[in-house]
Amino acid sequence: MNARTSMSVAGGAALTIYALFFASSYDQRILTLSGIYVILVLGYQFIFGHAGALSLAQGAFFGVGAYTTGILGSKFGADFLLTFPLSIVVAATLAALVSLPVLRLKTHYFALATLALSQLLLLVAINWEPVTGGANGLPGVPPVTILDWKLTRGLPLLTFVWAIVGMAMVIAHMQMRAGRVAAFTVMRETPLAAPSFGIDSGMLRLRAFLLSAAFGGAAGALFVHTNRVVSPETLGFGVMITCLTMTVVGGRFGILGAVIGALLLTHLPEWFRGFDEYYLVAVGILLLAAVVFAPEGIVALIAPAKAPHENDKPSLHTQSKRASATKPSRLALEAIDLAKSYGGVRALDGVTLSFGPGEIVGVIGPNGAGKTTLANVLTGLTPVDQGTIRLGGRDITNTPAHIIARMGLARTFQTPQLPNALTVRDLVETTQRAHGMSPAADEALDLLTIRSIADARCDTLPHGLRRQVEIARAIATNPGILVLDEPAAGLSPDEQDEIAAICISLSASGMAILLIDHNIEFLSPCVSRLICMEAGRVIADGASDETLTNPDVRNAYFGVISS
Amino acid sequence: MRTLPRLVITFATGMAAILSLVTTSHAEPLRVPVLVPITGFLSLEGTSQKNGAELALVGTDVSFSVIDTATAPEIAINAFERAVDASDVVSVIAPMLGTQMLALVPLADEFGIPLITVSGTAKITELGSPNVYRFFPGDAVVKAAQARYAVEELDASRPAIISQTTAYGQSGRAALEANLRRIGTPPVFQESMDVSVKDMLPVLLKVRDSGADALLLQLHSGPTALVIRHAKALGLDIPIIAGSAMHQPETAALLEPAELKGVCAESGSSPVSETSEEMQAFVDAYRRSFDREPDAFALGQYDGAQMILAAIAAGAQTADAVRSHLQTARHEGLAMTYKSDGKGNMAHSAVIICYDGTGRVPQIVKRYENLTGVLLD
Repeated sequence: MNARTSMSVAGGAALTIYALFFASSYDQRILTLSGIYVILVLGYQFIFGHAGALSLAQGAFFGVGAYTTGILGSKFGADFLLTFPLSIVVAATLAALVSLPVLRLKTHYFALATLALSQLLLLVAINWEPVTGGANGLPGVPPVTILDWKLTRGLPLLTFVWAIVGMAMVIAHMQMRAGRVAAFTVMRETPLAAPSFGIDSGMLRLRAFLLSAAFGGAAGALFVHTNRVVSPETLGFGVMITCLTMTVVGGRFGILGAVIGALLLTHLPEWFRGFDEYYLVAVGILLLAAVVFAPEGIVALIAPAKAPHENDKPSLHTQSKRASATKPSRLALEAIDLAKSYGGVRALDGVTLSFGPGEIVGVIGPNGAGKTTLANVLTGLTPVDQGTIRLGGRDITNTPAHIIARMGLARTFQTPQLPNALTVRDLVETTQRAHGMSPAADEALDLLTIRSIADARCDTLPHGLRRQVEIARAIATNPGILVLDEPAAGLSPDEQDEIAAICISLSASGMAILLIDHNIEFLSPCVSRLICMEAGRVIADGASDETLTNPDVRNAYFGVISS
Repeated sequence: MRTLPRLVITFATGMAAILSLVTTSHAEPLRVPVLVPITGFLSLEGTSQKNGAELALVGTDVSFSVIDTATAPEIAINAFERAVDASDVVSVIAPMLGTQMLALVPLADEFGIPLITVSGTAKITELGSPNVYRFFPGDAVVKAAQARYAVEELDASRPAIISQTTAYGQSGRAALEANLRRIGTPPVFQESMDVSVKDMLPVLLKVRDSGADALLLQLHSGPTALVIRHAKALGLDIPIIAGSAMHQPETAALLEPAELKGVCAESGSSPVSETSEEMQAFVDAYRRSFDREPDAFALGQYDGAQMILAAIAAGAQTADAVRSHLQTARHEGLAMTYKSDGKGNMAHSAVIICYDGTGRVPQIVKRYENLTGVLLD
């Protein structure tokens, strides 16, 4: 039992004893509200914590659930068995409807769009008086009624709400099993690169958004049953701020964080009511202190996540014997007349190239020649304006990056894209899962001779090892094509030799490799062909010696003026 | 096994924290908790409520504590449950915010505790609850006075209404429109706006374009002042008859006397405008205690609290007995005579005040007594 689990068990037992034997009617009400907010925050953790998107719509989903139950309950006397699922469905449906335009947005645009949704719903609630009761809201919402069983306030309602909280915890736990948490981590920390590892970021964000809405709707429904009135305040920005504060203060991840945040933020104002009009100042000071001293949430302070082991910082040269090559699928890549412009800059201009199984093709060129753009369009990260790309004979032009990755085209990045919070093993296995493979990192780690760092967090690794981890992740899915973008940059000569040896080993097993780099000494021993680019065009494509002696190449790349 | 000590320590710490929170009840005098919004957008009015109640209750045998209800219904419910956790609660001074009252009424019925409020929201006395007692004239009274003054005294025939999108605004607008229609002068223009709106010129231009010959407001304090200021700046030369927010000294303080010239407002009362000895004593005591000017909300709440004290003085020692007194007794308050209409509406009179442009203290220009006829019974 780890610290977090023991803390949860002890806290849960203490709370149960408190609620059963010591809590007054008022205390039970505050605990009931806390439970409702736990559900709200658990939902918000999906989109804000795991997906890393600042949604300001969680209050809106809460309000939608509240109004669904409020209207059906007060106007039609509908049973809880009908209103509760409907509140969840309506909130999730709303999320699904708005997800198409909203989820395409990133960062502050996403936040603003979700805020606009909240404001729109608030206006509807205030102005659609015949249905919503306008600014007054709708009084007379019945208590939770299941068939003929009417739940009274106090302990019965408290027990019922926390039973639903328990179910919400189970669902949250099942949704956020280890593999999916890692996929969310990759998406959140390396959002631009994640699709190249086969991770369908769009689907993950959609899942998080829908789950957050469903949990929000459930919380809203219970809230209305607890207060017996629904009013525009349930859609107000105050609910959103409360939810955001609970999540930040408690912790963005995990059930314990949600419980701590909700319990604390619900109780804190009540504890300080004695300060009269100054109680908000006291609450504000405490919250500020919490954010300053526990930026990752109080849960991280009292029950920190598992720390990396002491031996998790090995050097590049402490590795064991290199294992045999992987078994890649045999694929060929063909690019025809590719063009890509950024405004007035022609990054790619009629690029045509092809390479197949067992080949290592080097790509050189001065800065701004279009090498990285080429890698991005081949792997689907950047759409092309013109041209055709075929992978294994199939047209993949402008196909989403995660699909291309799953078809067998893997890549690394000029700057290693490794999420800090994951271990090497988690990272590799997450990529394998995204490809529908059983997680088994060892073979790829052995091939790169880095199995000894499998349990090290990525943020503890030196630069050379980060490069190797990126390659291990790329080859762990047995790709047919591997695109390496400047893999030797920043490495020592010994480390460069290691990478070159790995490339040769991989190509020997049938993998086709596109090796983009500036370093001729690194490229020359291992490439079978060398392509030189300049100003978005291929100016030479042939054997290494031919390309290097090509006058245009010497002129463009080495600055030698040919006579 | 290493986790066992940690488990035990955590559990013990949790239990210690819990035990420290456990409250115990003691034998106490009769209690009248004061639940009012002293933070949030209604803090000005809520503070008046609090002050009025305090002025009445301080120095008596009744115990009271003030709990902030802010502006959300669930906070009001929390406050109520906290307040009635103690024994011997015979009545609760309840918040003036309509949505909070609507949330509290079912609880008051469940606990059998009468709520004393100055909320103007019409709906709170339409729920059939025997536990709501309103010591401020409701919309049915003050909106009738506002409409009648505009039409009968100022000869308005094309009135316009600007209201707030809050419960106060929506409830008052509906009553105002109904009263205007009843006397044959339906509004030629209506618009509701959010409390956050700061630029009033667009809506005032629409009022001007509608050809309105009087402007009736149902706005909170800040927006009332802004509309009046912008109307003067625009040169909108039509009478303005504001809602009760305008009678508050704090609202008048937001405007220059010249901007206030000709502006009128409805209210349950206007303590600073009255000259009677009793009222002057109240005003002086209020100023001494709180260093501010009393308004009609403070006076209404003062009168409400005084009626509870009168009930206790008459022998009421339980919530049921206090309720019974509120349902049947007639109370001569400072602002007016109070008597329940059977639904909990205790106030049936209103005044119209106007500013003459020389200062911020208005004159009472018209009294509308017993508009509901209840006091004749």
